[in-house]
Amino acid sequence: MKHFRSPHSCRSACLPHPDLSRTSRTSFLAAALALALVLALFARVPADSAPEIVDDVAVALQQTADQQAPAPAGETRIQTVVNRWVEGASNAIFGVLFFDVSGGSFRSTVIDRDSRLPVLDESGNPKTATQALPLLIVVLLFGGIFFTIYYRFVNIRGFRHSIDVVRGRFDKAEDEGEVSHFRALTSALSATVGLGNIAGVAIAVSLGGPGAVFWMLVTAFFGMASKFSCCTLGQMYRQVNADGTISGGPMYYLDRGLAERGGFFKPLGKVLAIAAAIMVMGAAVGGGNLFQANQSYAIVEYVFDLKYQHASAIYGVIAALLVGAVIIGGIKRIGAATSRIVPLMAGVYILGCLVVILSHADKVPGALALIVREAFAADALYGGFIGVLVMGVRRAAFSNEAGIGSAAIAHSAARTNEPVREGIVGLLEPFIDTIVICMMTAIVVIVTGVYDIHGAEKAAIMATAHHAPEGAVLTAVAFGQVVSWFPYILAAAVVLFAYSTMISWCYYGERGWIYLFDHWGGIGLRSVILYRLFFVFCVFVGAVANLGPIIDLSDALLLSMAFPNILGMILLAPLVKKKTDDYFARLRAGKMPVVR
Amino acid sequence: MAWFPKKMVVVPIDLSDFSLMALDVALDFVEDASHLHVIHVLREMSPMEPGVVWGEIDDTSRRIHAEEAIRTRLADPKYNGIVIHILFGNPGNQIARYAEQRAADLIVIHSHGRTGAAHLLIGSVAERVVRHAHCPVLVIRD
Repeated sequence: MKHFRSPHSCRSACLPHPDLSRTSRTSFLAAALALALVLALFARVPADSAPEIVDDVAVALQQTADQQAPAPAGETRIQTVVNRWVEGASNAIFGVLFFDVSGGSFRSTVIDRDSRLPVLDESGNPKTATQALPLLIVVLLFGGIFFTIYYRFVNIRGFRHSIDVVRGRFDKAEDEGEVSHFRALTSALSATVGLGNIAGVAIAVSLGGPGAVFWMLVTAFFGMASKFSCCTLGQMYRQVNADGTISGGPMYYLDRGLAERGGFFKPLGKVLAIAAAIMVMGAAVGGGNLFQANQSYAIVEYVFDLKYQHASAIYGVIAALLVGAVIIGGIKRIGAATSRIVPLMAGVYILGCLVVILSHADKVPGALALIVREAFAADALYGGFIGVLVMGVRRAAFSNEAGIGSAAIAHSAARTNEPVREGIVGLLEPFIDTIVICMMTAIVVIVTGVYDIHGAEKAAIMATAHHAPEGAVLTAVAFGQVVSWFPYILAAAVVLFAYSTMISWCYYGERGWIYLFDHWGGIGLRSVILYRLFFVFCVFVGAVANLGPIIDLSDALLLSMAFPNILGMILLAPLVKKKTDDYFARLRAGKMPVVR
Repeated sequence: MAWFPKKMVVVPIDLSDFSLMALDVALDFVEDASHLHVIHVLREMSPMEPGVVWGEIDDTSRRIHAEEAIRTRLADPKYNGIVIHILFGNPGNQIARYAEQRAADLIVIHSHGRTGAAHLLIGSVAERVVRHAHCPVLVIRD
């Protein structure tokens, strides 16, 4: 039964909305279809249909993991069990999402990462491997380019206006919504800025080479238009509840937006919305939880030189308890404080990076040149041109969530009656996240040369620090080269980033849960505790598992959201374009009063 | 009109059309609309909701918004004088407790009457109210 959940009232900005809680046959069928779609995506590809799914990250990280920790104690039993499960899940999901659309036409020589020599096969010839061009990467990049062109470079022409909006020059207290534009952006950024900006970039540069950074920036530029699109739609089709709160996000705009187009689009919208709801829960667990817990522990372990074999489990339990305190215990103050200090933490991190960069100032021009040159160099070490491109797009999308749709959940809460205005605010997100913060990490990792640590140098670091220089640890190594206590500042920032990202993402995930289960008699809010418990458990799993499988699983879970979201956003693009043109026309005509 | 006009009837609503039907049934039990207490129960907000994080939404603001929304829905003159109350927490418990505290004569509640697995999964607010209420409960099935 559905009584007494927050009732929904839809005002002028919204469309007449079919009662989501009604368990109609249509919605049940749509749910079944969406579930089938997700399961089909996540099902294992038969071995013969995809014989060579080459995954650079997994292979490379596994290599380092294999060389790591030769201690006889090795993994604890908990770690073995966790790793087996995580690996199984990631292999299954990965198989489909990253299937090679090029049909294996790109190949490059396999180079040993330590000796930098080509790997030879049994007959003594250099071994080659397929460089996959994953479907997901094509969809993400195509989506960004499409929206950039279709909205006539809104990422450039809306940029200045977006800063004015964030400064509060257009804020109107009487508009519907929960928070100001600035606060909505900060809330969204607390989920976006996390380990993807630190560990993710280090991974991109060490495995994809400096050229990957170029493609990260390109992806972020186009991603600004994708983000504009999803935030505008988030506002257009948000649900204003009777108690003044807002429910929004990809589930809502796919469902309500496509229903508005009528006919065949209505059931399609339902299917895409339900798929998005299921996927946002997965994304929250993957990118918003496992990866954060894993890499924040990695850096803490490295900086504080933790050698106790159960240290990761202890860290996992503590982190899980702290996350649980907010999301289950309902300690609002902690949640509020962490979310609010994200801009400050980002400032501290950027400052730290600047100190490192300035101490290597002479190398900066060279690093910038290297980024551009390597982007097209087709270096076999980094998997050739395709390998570098894919790495850049993947890590950029993971970091800034453009095209994924998740951020629309936070942006839909902004107080405005102009959907386009929040979209304009949204386009700042990939800019701040990737073009500013990720770029900082990238330059740090390149000018200090830590991305290229291999052979004897790597062995030396592993011998003294007991850790393979990979992921977040690389940035700590880079920071440590400049000032001895810098890694401690980095560790503090990383832990706070991870924490705020985890609790913010839990909110995204639970919006998916609530949307989904409201179809079964409005039990979303009543049953959301189950999701929260699972989320807290995953914090522990993330801390204990190895990086290789974690990063694959996180990528697959997070990036898969791009499928329903980009498809839906393309179908809804004409509506957004109309609103955008109207908005800019009024802005140019001076019909929008500036408050201050 | 019912046999004995009631002095106080509690009607929980969720703003669905169906819950308003229960309200119309309840009107038959009282002589004056002011004897009707319409209850709307709001659940707790997520601690990470942007409005909560930035302290711009709290129970007071939600109460004001919800009351306004209910008043707009109940604009018809026949509802003039109805008492509106917004409560927070578990709906079943809150409704039963409210009725007991105010010594209500009757609770009129709508129920979607799910059976089987759906019932198990969802539970039933009406069922909980029937179990905990100190007074008679009239359940309106759809």
